[in-house]
Amino acid sequence: MGSAHYRGRATGRMKLAGVLLGIMLPMTAWAERTLETAFGEVAVPDSPTRVVTLYEGALDTALAVDMAPLGAVTTRGGDGVADYLTPRFDDIAIVGVVREINLEAVLALEPDLILAPPRLPEAQYRLLSRMAPTVVPLTQGFDPDAWRDEALLFGRALNREAEAQAALARVDARLAELADRHADEAPSAVLVRWMPQGPMVMSERLFSTGLLRDAGMSLHDADLVEEGRPHSDTLSLENLSRIDADWLFLATLNEEGRDALDAAQASPAFARLDVVARDQVVPVDGQLWTSASGPLAALAILDELDEALSAQ
Amino acid sequence: MTGGHVSGAGSTRRPRRAMAGLSLLLALACLASLLLGAGDVGPMRALHALLGQGDPEAQFVLASLRLPRTVVGLVVGVALGVAGSLLQAVTRNPLAEPGLLGVSAGAAFAVAVALVLGATATTLRVGVAQLGAMAGCLCVLGVARVSGAGHDPVRLVLAGAALTGLLLSLTSLLLLFDQRAADEIRFWVVGSLAGRRLDHLQAILPSLLLAGVIVLAVARPLAALALGERIASGLGHHPGVIRLLVIVAVALLVGAATATAGPIAFVGLVVPFAARALAGPDIRRTLWLCLPLGPLMVVTADIVSRLLVAPSELPLGVLTALCGAPVLVAVVRARRMPTL
Repeated sequence: MGSAHYRGRATGRMKLAGVLLGIMLPMTAWAERTLETAFGEVAVPDSPTRVVTLYEGALDTALAVDMAPLGAVTTRGGDGVADYLTPRFDDIAIVGVVREINLEAVLALEPDLILAPPRLPEAQYRLLSRMAPTVVPLTQGFDPDAWRDEALLFGRALNREAEAQAALARVDARLAELADRHADEAPSAVLVRWMPQGPMVMSERLFSTGLLRDAGMSLHDADLVEEGRPHSDTLSLENLSRIDADWLFLATLNEEGRDALDAAQASPAFARLDVVARDQVVPVDGQLWTSASGPLAALAILDELDEALSAQ
Repeated sequence: MTGGHVSGAGSTRRPRRAMAGLSLLLALACLASLLLGAGDVGPMRALHALLGQGDPEAQFVLASLRLPRTVVGLVVGVALGVAGSLLQAVTRNPLAEPGLLGVSAGAAFAVAVALVLGATATTLRVGVAQLGAMAGCLCVLGVARVSGAGHDPVRLVLAGAALTGLLLSLTSLLLLFDQRAADEIRFWVVGSLAGRRLDHLQAILPSLLLAGVIVLAVARPLAALALGERIASGLGHHPGVIRLLVIVAVALLVGAATATAGPIAFVGLVVPFAARALAGPDIRRTLWLCLPLGPLMVVTADIVSRLLVAPSELPLGVLTALCGAPVLVAVVRARRMPTL
């Protein structure tokens, strides 16, 4: 309550000051903007230069609008930034994993803006916001379209909203182009992670599965994923036919996706699937398909989809 | 066998009838394992397929999914039950269990390291798991020989729990560091029979046979060892050699079981416990009873793991822990801890 009160007074005072300055000093360099975040209105600097991203979606958006952050968190299961982003920057300090942020490493970078994940714990927010203005998206639960709002919010925070909108438009154009290919009937598709004892079916409400849907595919999770969960429990091999579809995307954290496909094909139950007989099983990069989000990730996923569809 | 202090009233019970009863139960469990599953092939369809006249789907599920995991469950159950019985006899501790003492965790950790280093072959896995189990066994024996710890069963288990915790966290650490092997390693944290194939068994068969020969050779000296080192030496046995042989057999058995099904805890605790309750403390009788008891526990737990959350499956290691933990608590809470 106290901090909200303080914030309100501060914005009030700032608005007044802004009006006065706007009248008296049109060329002033001092200007701050405010953003609507999960922790209320946050004032951010006009042209941030020392940005730290604590969320893969924020890093993706920053790079999409040509802003190289100083620090970032690792991709899931990896010890660095996701592979699809590495060609886009020179050097980024790793400041922890998304669930365990190294606050000292963040402080050492002396950030002037922090872009944080949705559902950042309030205790962490309090610490981070003392280092620099911290932007937390309003996203609730699993929402396959939330990444768009997040990208716009991060774009605004970086004062590059137009660039963020352009990045979204590129994704939309690509989606429309792919969706046009199968205008008559949407091919069905399932995304799974393969384990030796059976697959885990990924929710149809993830970033990647939402994109596939927008690209004109009919995603389903075989009614196996509970509300609010990212994936199902390990499906019994006896029920493997439930994941049969026109397309089966096999996400793996292995760099060599073929290995995972070979492992799956060694299982007699997998080899019986129709989708395997039609050779429409596509090994995909798990970093990209089950961990990343943002406009660049969207384009990379759609490239992989395009490649798979074109091979047919 | 004239009674020493270890063979009291228990040995006069009827192990033979127990053996017959357990074998019958095991046969029923195997049948149930073929008939029940998480899928659409229910008991009637499965029964038809079993009699050779079912639809192709049912025949596939039976022959390629349920039969292999049942057979693997039998083998893993025998290996873990016998290994637990041997480990308890050699440490003279009723709580000694490969899963609790870090032997399984050692095997799983060794496999995880091998995976990170780039090994993919299933055959290599068995040897690596056995080496890891061996290292775990030696750690356990090292602790058991520390003055005092060997006579306090709970302290040995505490040491084993610490070792298991250490090895499990090291395995998880590998998960963090190597994304390439991550999906594979996840399997080595909790055991399962799902997706196992009969050719997995071929790789472990030689070491199981070797372990069997060792067990036959050491059963009698081990029973003598239970009377005390001096008596065993007086009977012409070499306690050091016997211990070493037993440890080798335990490592072979646990390593083979872990390489096939991942770490499955508590089987080696519950099975010898039940065997002693039925046949008394003589290792030569309990070992025989472990043969049907081990698979009975593993196969039954596997059936439950398929049915509880159908159409998904639970990891087998979770279920054996659910049955095993109460037995552990009961043994520890018993006013007079049985000494072996």
